[in-house]
Amino acid sequence: MPDIVATIAVGWATLLLFGGGLLLLRSKDTLHRVLALDVLVAIVIMLLTTLSYLRGVSYYIDAALALALLALTSTLVAARYVIRGGPF
Amino acid sequence: MVFDVIGSVLLALGLLLATIGLYGLLRMDDINHQLHPAGLVTGPAVILVLLACVATGRAEIITSAALVLLFVLITSPLSAHAIARAARRRRRP
Repeated sequence: MPDIVATIAVGWATLLLFGGGLLLLRSKDTLHRVLALDVLVAIVIMLLTTLSYLRGVSYYIDAALALALLALTSTLVAARYVIRGGPF
Repeated sequence: MVFDVIGSVLLALGLLLATIGLYGLLRMDDINHQLHPAGLVTGPAVILVLLACVATGRAEIITSAALVLLFVLITSPLSAHAIARAARRRRRP
């Protein structure tokens, strides 16, 4: 992949991260925050992947895999918390 | 050369989809409306960005990206379904 494309992609993904932060700040209740964090994790996965393309190493995508696993767990548990009104 | 073009187009398309989804998320208020663009960001946008790994031509990057792709394909509908179910069943104060 040409370097200029990867650089532009990393910059674009960083701008998207700002948008996700704005979404998190504008959220009104718990469920909106859960959704905003889910979207933020997706954007961070994209950022790490483009960073991996730019640098030419694969470690960043492994970090993205771990982050996706944690995001799934946290989303499921937080949604359960919203339903029951408590952790258990 | 051909893979370079394919990868660049896939990358641009994925980031464009993510931008459109984020705009929709910022525009809508209700959680049931927001779930639709959120599914666009967490599903197809991430998948397109991960598919752009063919342009790198490195075996380790393509293997890791394939793993993440498989994982995202499984977990993205799961989390969207969990949020929709919570929105339907939550206790109103």
